Amino acid sequence: MARPELEVRGLVVQVAGRKILEVSCFDLRKGECLALFGPNGSGKSTFLRTLSLLQKPESGEIYYQGQAVGPKDRERLQQKIVYLLQKPVFFQGTVRDNLMLGLRFRRLDRETQRARLEKIAGLFNLHSLLNSSPYELSGGERQRVHLARAFILEPEFLYLDEPFNGLDVRFREELMSDFHRIRKVTGVTTVLVTHIRQEAVYLADRMAVMLGGRIVRVGTPEEISSAPDSPEVSRLMGQEALVEGVVEKADNGLLEIRGHGQTIYAFGRQKAGDRVVLTFRPEEVILAPARPASSVRNWFEAEVREIRPHDRMLLVLMDCGFRLKAFVSRSSVEELGLRPGSKVWAGIKATALTTGPGLQETGFSENEK
Amino acid sequence: MSLREIIQVTWLSLLVSGSAVLLAMAAGLPAAVLLYLKKFPGRRLITALVNTGMGLPPVVVGLLVAVLFWRTGPLGFLGMMYTPVAMVIAQFIIALPLVVGLSLAAFEQVDPEVLLQARALGASGLQTVRVLFRESSLGQLAAIMAAFGGVISEVGAVMMVGGNLKGYTRVLTTAIVQETRTGNLRSAVYLALILLALSFLINLFLTSLQRKGASRWQGPSWK
Repeated sequence: MARPELEVRGLVVQVAGRKILEVSCFDLRKGECLALFGPNGSGKSTFLRTLSLLQKPESGEIYYQGQAVGPKDRERLQQKIVYLLQKPVFFQGTVRDNLMLGLRFRRLDRETQRARLEKIAGLFNLHSLLNSSPYELSGGERQRVHLARAFILEPEFLYLDEPFNGLDVRFREELMSDFHRIRKVTGVTTVLVTHIRQEAVYLADRMAVMLGGRIVRVGTPEEISSAPDSPEVSRLMGQEALVEGVVEKADNGLLEIRGHGQTIYAFGRQKAGDRVVLTFRPEEVILAPARPASSVRNWFEAEVREIRPHDRMLLVLMDCGFRLKAFVSRSSVEELGLRPGSKVWAGIKATALTTGPGLQETGFSENEK
Repeated sequence: MSLREIIQVTWLSLLVSGSAVLLAMAAGLPAAVLLYLKKFPGRRLITALVNTGMGLPPVVVGLLVAVLFWRTGPLGFLGMMYTPVAMVIAQFIIALPLVVGLSLAAFEQVDPEVLLQARALGASGLQTVRVLFRESSLGQLAAIMAAFGGVISEVGAVMMVGGNLKGYTRVLTTAIVQETRTGNLRSAVYLALILLALSFLINLFLTSLQRKGASRWQGPSWK
């Protein structure tokens, strides 16, 4: 396997004597898009600032193409990096001036500057905005200019701190799709900070999940979703803790788990006698008026407790000996005649359940509320 | 007072005050950058001294320079007392804290994230300082206007260290005092009008630069 383009070993960052970041090992591969994913305050932005060499760590090493980056190499490596702050701040002048400033910092000749501007204005559809002040633009257009001034520099490493934050859904989806397309065209190695799972899953080749200043899990979005390894990561991946139980039987990966007086089927690597936590995504729960004959192995008779709006869907909270959530459309709720107190059958495929190691504290508190 | 004399005092006023402000900018702007960007022990004390210096009475400055350059003073051997050079030094001391203090205030108005973004786009240390000046250019012009206005209109310091020698160290303000003392009120009024016109024209020029900067900026605070 090829050597990673950038490696981090034993990195520690302290602020006012308090350790806020500790990354023992981190690799970045050439051309990949890696999402630093985690809740607010988990150290993602600090890590990104440290990777961009703008924050000095207390200890630790950064290696570029296998060579430790010493004080003399920092400036050389910094020229290969572009880091965009979360808040799009602009310099005096027009959109054109803002796009060109980074090129001027790099002292590129005028011909190259013009060619780069032409190329990037085309890619980001900015021709009509070039002579406007960035502050005359809409939030979406500003964010587009913010991203464009990173791509115009054609960096080797692109570090983005929540680049789609604060945009309305339409602009966000549009800009994410453009970013995805342009990143694929340019092939720039990217680290993207986000606390939105959908963003990470859509854009990233790999994810590094951060909690409390540490990287707790690295893998492809699929790997992390299917094996989150801890209830915290599972919850971050949009999965809800269903129940904690004991594996009664394990047959070629299919587990028969007993918990809360129910038998539940799921796939996992555990063996009989192991304690497991089962997690699920509320969007994968099926609701039916009666238990249907189907391939779905897990069916629970439940009582609807509450129905709440959630984005474009409705969140149905149910009790079936344990708490269960389902996202369903408004029309489905009407067709099934769901209301608090009504009975319904809830089904989850065994393949839709994720099994993690069981804990005495299972992190159920959120689900139990 | 002849026209030749009027042109001479006007020219000397511009030369002395212009030189003092240029010197104060040369020393004060880098000092303001250091105070803004570098965190070092004593920084707060220096900032407090600068802020105090902004209200320094010109007569006190004149006295200080006079004590230094007096024949028996520590720098008396230089023979600079009652020369335009001593006047420039006195006005430089008055202008310096104004330039440093108001520039520092202008830097502090710049969003620190703008500088961080400049660094993150690859700006070197010097390029980041250029961004800092560009982003605070309106405040910098205000600092220059305040310093120039402060020194061209002061009379105490130039009178004490220049001596108001006719044809040598007489400037507009000291000439106005002289003409008033000798009862030539008409000349004094003409000189006062010239001083006002000079201040007005220079401020008009700097304000037009400020306006140009403001229209180029068009940031949210101007909406």
